[in-house]
Amino acid sequence: MVSSFCWSCMTRLRPTPRAVLPPPVAAPRAASFHTSTVRYALPAKKKASLDGPPKFREAKSARMKKKKPVEKSRPPSVGERKALRKRIVLSNPNALEVEGMQDLSSENMVDARLRGSVLGLPVPMLTQLRAVEAFKPKQGWSIFRRPGTVVRRETLELGRFIDGISNEGKDKGRSAKKIVTGVRGSGKTVHLLQAMAMAFTKQWVVFTVPEPQDLVIAHTSYAPLSDDTPHLYVQNDATAAMLSRTVTANEQVLKNLHISQQHPALKSSAKAGMTLEELAKLGIQDPAIAWPVFQALWSELTATSPAPGFDKGFKPRPPMLVTVDGLSHWMKNSEYRSADFDPIHAHDLMFVRHFLSLLKPGSEKPALPNGGLLLYATSASNNPTIYSFEVALKQIAARQAGLNASAPEFPQADPYSKADKRVIDAFDSAKPTIAKEGILELQTLGGLTRDEARGFMEYFARSGLLREKINDAWVGEKWSLAGGGVIGELEKLGRRLRVVN
Amino acid sequence: MAWQSPNCIVHAMQSVRRTVQLRSFLHTPISPVSLRTNITPILSQQQRNARGYATEVQTAPEINFDTFSVQPARIIPASPAYFSGSPKFIDHLLNLESVLAKWASLPTVSPGEAPRMAWFKLMQFREFVGEPVPTKKYKNLIKILQRLNRIDPKLMPFEVRDTLKIFLRPGNPYGNKPVPATVDEMGRARGRGKRKTSSAVVHLVEGEGEVMVNGKTIVEVFPRLHDRESVTWPLKCTSRLDKYNVWATVRGGGVTGQAEAITLALARALLVHEPGLQPVMRRAGVITVDARRVERKKPGHVKARKMPTWVKR
Repeated sequence: MVSSFCWSCMTRLRPTPRAVLPPPVAAPRAASFHTSTVRYALPAKKKASLDGPPKFREAKSARMKKKKPVEKSRPPSVGERKALRKRIVLSNPNALEVEGMQDLSSENMVDARLRGSVLGLPVPMLTQLRAVEAFKPKQGWSIFRRPGTVVRRETLELGRFIDGISNEGKDKGRSAKKIVTGVRGSGKTVHLLQAMAMAFTKQWVVFTVPEPQDLVIAHTSYAPLSDDTPHLYVQNDATAAMLSRTVTANEQVLKNLHISQQHPALKSSAKAGMTLEELAKLGIQDPAIAWPVFQALWSELTATSPAPGFDKGFKPRPPMLVTVDGLSHWMKNSEYRSADFDPIHAHDLMFVRHFLSLLKPGSEKPALPNGGLLLYATSASNNPTIYSFEVALKQIAARQAGLNASAPEFPQADPYSKADKRVIDAFDSAKPTIAKEGILELQTLGGLTRDEARGFMEYFARSGLLREKINDAWVGEKWSLAGGGVIGELEKLGRRLRVVN
Repeated sequence: MAWQSPNCIVHAMQSVRRTVQLRSFLHTPISPVSLRTNITPILSQQQRNARGYATEVQTAPEINFDTFSVQPARIIPASPAYFSGSPKFIDHLLNLESVLAKWASLPTVSPGEAPRMAWFKLMQFREFVGEPVPTKKYKNLIKILQRLNRIDPKLMPFEVRDTLKIFLRPGNPYGNKPVPATVDEMGRARGRGKRKTSSAVVHLVEGEGEVMVNGKTIVEVFPRLHDRESVTWPLKCTSRLDKYNVWATVRGGGVTGQAEAITLALARALLVHEPGLQPVMRRAGVITVDARRVERKKPGHVKARKMPTWVKR
């Protein structure tokens, strides 16, 4: 069998699982890619009707038809169906190669002339992006020759910010905290993906939580943190999985960094002179110590100077990007239960608590002392409705607009609606005292502008997916139909197969 | 019996002659005038020619009813259509036909240019004449009225004008025309539309093609692309999609009904801005109102039309 993947595009090819094809259907002989109905199919034979009076010497009682024994094939093996469901295809060899498409690089990520064009993701980086699960199965990566993203206004701002932090200058070491919201299909997840791609080009360390829901639906193991704090819980397997993601994606960076302080929680397993990659792998190999290892790794990456005795070969730590995609699942009781069978609030899980604590301004040093970016996105499709979270987001926006918390027009939770105090407190971050640390912001993604939409639709046309004349009138129509250029809707319009007959 | 004697034959001949005379009179066209004038002479002539077999048949002199010395045996109805069941209606119809025949040669204008007249509705007309008028016959009467109304207004004779006036609804429904809608001081045009059980109000302002429905974007309200296309169709077919902003409020009904109610409302609002677009939009089918509603369920049926399944016994 010829592999359906192109060797030049795909860097990582796992041995494909057993091909699971739909059972061959006997009746329609037309090729399966046809969208039109089978016109000239033979008319179905009429069933011998059972009604009507019984014939001469015919039994009058109802006759039950015997069911034919259905041939049962072996069910697919464990995990196979899920693997198929979660499969991410990043390439379509049938799509045309777009000529002159640039790759994302550290030079062109601040280039305002590229606004509205589609930048490809560099092929070597795809492994890293796959490792941090930046791609989601339902996104339309599989219709193009190679993955690429549109440069929109927010992307350029993000590029400038990441570039400023990475380069020597006044912005070096700055950090920003953003909660990304927007309507469904407005490109929140892809915005995170773009941030990750830019962070990888700038050699940042990237931590991601691609599915926050998985941490609270009681699908991974949990245990009390310690005897002193029986109400706090760690999730060792999930932590190990995150360490594994981080190590795979940031291997090159972590390899060159060494331990710079004592880690009493790890006892003897953390030796002096160990690289951070080796440190993180301790947690992957033994999930029982995953949480202390993660804490050690985090303290190493946020270190600004070496502890006494570890001076040899200390390198300044790179900036960090932390992304969480789908924040609202963390704002309610989890499905876990305590020993008394009381529900555990998501904020009592150490994993969740750690990432939410980053939103608060640090007291003596910032939450990300070496600079970096916190990007926490909400989801519009898989989104539990949580009143207190909505209020908290409104409060963030008000605080960002310069409104004082004691002002009368400052949005407050309705006292009769039982708002969750912990959720509101989690986002109640005061103005940071340290200069380099940014205030918690709310970034709302809207639609593309017409020019950006035009560039996006031209990309479809140049990939051979769209056979229309792309002019301003046509783009304007699609822009309106897509609710003001919501990019997910534009994509649906672009990939829609028009059957002309 | 009586026929067997020769005398009888003579009598029979006489009776045949009399009936022939009577029959020829019956076959002459009857009109009220001739009836009034002709009857007496025949009687007198018959008396005069009672025995003159060989003489020629002569027309009877007129009967002078005024000089009747006695009242007739029964009251003669005023209308000759008295025994038809709907005499007033038939009188009106005959009158209209005669008026039309009289003025048929006058030049006419096209139906669109003729002045709009509010004729009696069928029920009103039935009340007006006090007779059960069949629908189809009334339609024919309306046709005559419309034909008369098409006579060039400059040449319209007074007789026709007065005749038509009889059939007009009181109160002059078309007299007070609504003030043509205009764009308000903030540049908004308002249009209302209905479809199925939905009703929509659209405010249209000049803009760059944003569509909001009930305060939400069109994508949130209409996830189906077809509905979004039908909402924006009036602007699309006139290529005005990037020149206006739409603010729609829609209530009631389902998704499709809401979308098409907005279509109609949007078309009407667009007409306020640009009345010249009417022919284009009529051809695109957005001005025509779809007045269909859900058909009611009937007793004995499962749904509006569906009958219960036939069971043999």
